[in-house]
Amino acid sequence: MSENILELRKATKLYSGIAAIDGVDFELRRGEIHALVGENGAGKSTLTKVMAGVVSLTSGSMLVDAHPVSPKSPLEARHLGVAMVFQENSLVPTMTVAQNLFLGQERFYNRLRGIYIAAQQFLQSLNFDVSPTVAVGMLGAAKKQMVEIARAVLHQAKIIIFDEPTASLTPEEKKYFFDLVRDLKRRGVSIVFISHALEEALFLADRITVLRDGKHVVTDDAAKFDRARIVQAMVGRDLSNTLYGARKTKARPRGARVLTVQNLKLAPIVKNNSLSVFARQITGVFGLVGAGRTETFKIVAGVLKRDFVHGGEIFLGDKAVRFGVPEPAVRAGVAYITEDRKVEGFFETMSIARNIYMGLLAKFPRGRSLTSRAEADKAGETWITRLKVRSIGKDSKVVELSGGNQQKVVIAKSLVQDPNLIIFDEPTRGVDVGAIVEIHDLINRLADEGKAVVVISSYLPEVLALSDRILVCRQGKVVEEFSALDATEEKIMYAAIH
Amino acid sequence: MIAAWKRFADNMLGRGEATVTVPTFDGALKPNQQLETAQITASFDAPEDLASDGATVYVANGPTVLALDGASPREIRRFDRPITALCALPGDRLAVALDGREVRVFASASGADDGLAFVGGAMKAVNALNPGPGGTLLATDGSCAQPYGRWAHDLMEKGKTGRLLLLDLTTRQVREIAGGLAFAFGACAAGDDILVSESWRHRVLAVAPDGGKRAALDNLPAYPSRISPAASGGFWLTAFVARTQLVEFVLRENGYRRRMMKEIPPEFWIAPRLRSGRSFEEPMQGAHIKTMGVIKPWAPPRSYGLVIRLNAQGTPLYSLHSRVDGVNHGVVSAVEAKGALYVLAKGPGRVLRLPLAELEAEMSA
Repeated sequence: MSENILELRKATKLYSGIAAIDGVDFELRRGEIHALVGENGAGKSTLTKVMAGVVSLTSGSMLVDAHPVSPKSPLEARHLGVAMVFQENSLVPTMTVAQNLFLGQERFYNRLRGIYIAAQQFLQSLNFDVSPTVAVGMLGAAKKQMVEIARAVLHQAKIIIFDEPTASLTPEEKKYFFDLVRDLKRRGVSIVFISHALEEALFLADRITVLRDGKHVVTDDAAKFDRARIVQAMVGRDLSNTLYGARKTKARPRGARVLTVQNLKLAPIVKNNSLSVFARQITGVFGLVGAGRTETFKIVAGVLKRDFVHGGEIFLGDKAVRFGVPEPAVRAGVAYITEDRKVEGFFETMSIARNIYMGLLAKFPRGRSLTSRAEADKAGETWITRLKVRSIGKDSKVVELSGGNQQKVVIAKSLVQDPNLIIFDEPTRGVDVGAIVEIHDLINRLADEGKAVVVISSYLPEVLALSDRILVCRQGKVVEEFSALDATEEKIMYAAIH
Repeated sequence: MIAAWKRFADNMLGRGEATVTVPTFDGALKPNQQLETAQITASFDAPEDLASDGATVYVANGPTVLALDGASPREIRRFDRPITALCALPGDRLAVALDGREVRVFASASGADDGLAFVGGAMKAVNALNPGPGGTLLATDGSCAQPYGRWAHDLMEKGKTGRLLLLDLTTRQVREIAGGLAFAFGACAAGDDILVSESWRHRVLAVAPDGGKRAALDNLPAYPSRISPAASGGFWLTAFVARTQLVEFVLRENGYRRRMMKEIPPEFWIAPRLRSGRSFEEPMQGAHIKTMGVIKPWAPPRSYGLVIRLNAQGTPLYSLHSRVDGVNHGVVSAVEAKGALYVLAKGPGRVLRLPLAELEAEMSA
């Protein structure tokens, strides 16, 4: 029996003549945890999609148990024992958790109660606190991720591929996840996981492979890597000092109060939440998943509606506002940049220029009914240059871009509206280290220009590196405020938990 | 009819004027313990106001004016009625408001003269004095309906009869610059405009020379009171109590409020106080809930201590607090003298002192 359960030899995949992966050799040993790291656009997702049968190789070969294979679909790959947990989840939102778990494994006669009981037992065995009877669409990002993971485990795959599995998990949930991965390893399952959190790769993996620009750079034992070596291999330059490393030594002084939220309610998530946001500084908002951060700011931006009765008040400047839909919020100068870019952030089959133009359309003068292709092209070119979006051109479809570049398009779509209050919700989730630095620079620039900036983030180093003041949310409301200079990870986490 | 329906709907849905919400203390208003840990300079039985000529701090205590220029307070003037406001004018002059109904201006801070008297103009509750433009004197008349001591009655009756007055020291004329204010409590010249605290509307207005009003600072989480200039530019704004949802709720419930005013002694009303915790019969609020022997400092207060530092544009820079678990509550006046900020906490009757250099360094960090 071969030592390697899966091998890729000279694997190449071309999209419209552009190589996403180029002659990559990859080996996955039996029962090992193998981390795949690299910048966005390095080819990690393409490589794993080849393994999972989502895309086929243009050239090169793939071997499972030393047999050449060429899975044409995820189902074929699953029959070969390869399952993948996607970064942007692939669950059916209108179906329950249990139905999603057993999707594709239905029998001729399915007893719903039996499925629920089996799902409940299975989820409990994984220590996942998810109700099997809830529709997946009602779940938050973290719980959706749990269902994805549970589904892969349920299918008893020999190889499980995780694409950014911990991006939306809380620290407690991450611990469960790591235990689960180790448990899978003990059962002989081989794991491939993509992660931008390099500490996770160092902590969890047996071996690490680094890709850059679609090419294989290095594969070695995790023990032989440190953070600096990985980053060096990923980007070809030393970024470790600029990425999250530098703590603020000076906070920006606050300007005028731009946003006041008073006793905002959206039962049962947002409970009497009150906060203020000021111009000329970055307000970081930290909290565990379910703390009501996203929902509070979605209400501000008109994406969600507050409770109809005694739902609280929102003031933009001195003016009380209540946005039922996002359009008047956009006109009032509020931009909300979503945490879930794939679902809420862009139209994936439209071009970059068209997507950015959609942002501009939201602020069209009333009465204007014609769109302009030239205007769209100009907006596209301007923002591609300004935000350094790496693409073939303004007419590239957003779906063809890497995660970091997709995020830049989403940001451009909002910035083109020239907002005064910009709310970034998890701005660097699923984004590579190079793009993180660029997005952070952009956020800092916006605050320096006098905008009121809110950064909602679950990643403490990011909150500490960016924020001038930090609000901590717990159970639906802001419970503590820190100056960036006073705050420490311990203080923030204590406030978020206790 | 439409207005009545709108009011009914607002009451049902908790929106519009029926909204029971209170802004949060955050940003520049983030709570600290600066007032609670401040040095206590002196204590008095019935202090009302502070004034400063830059070198000496004057305290109005009942019917007397005292100077804080030595080891112990020195009485410099005594009247037959309680003083409700005090102001030091250029040239060692002193202005006092007596019982809220009369303003007298004296040629020197201490002495035996009767001074220049301003009576009339229907003054009822003069509660603050400050130098005005062109050698005038600014006065705020809190309410035309209730005397000075009955400010809580004015709040519970939703009074809107406060006025900003300009007293011309040459012609002895009293001119109303702005009226219809929901308890005017403190005024200060700011360039061509005059800043006025409108307590019951939780804001500071900028009143133009032509009488035009605009909000310089709105939607405060506290009831603002007297304002004084800061030597380095900007202002010190005091706030004598923090707002709570409970009081806002009582203000909305007209029937309950009327019955409370009729049947319950004022000291036990659900209303802001300058000091609380004197009697177990006081309304139970979060502030009075003890856990393991400690009063929860984050609980909503019945009384509170707060001074807000404003820049020249009226934007808050930082604030000094005595939180609900403290005692230096009911802050009604703050003035600068000799490189320090003197704060009057009327609740416990204390004058507090905070060195300005240390304060600026600490709060600006």
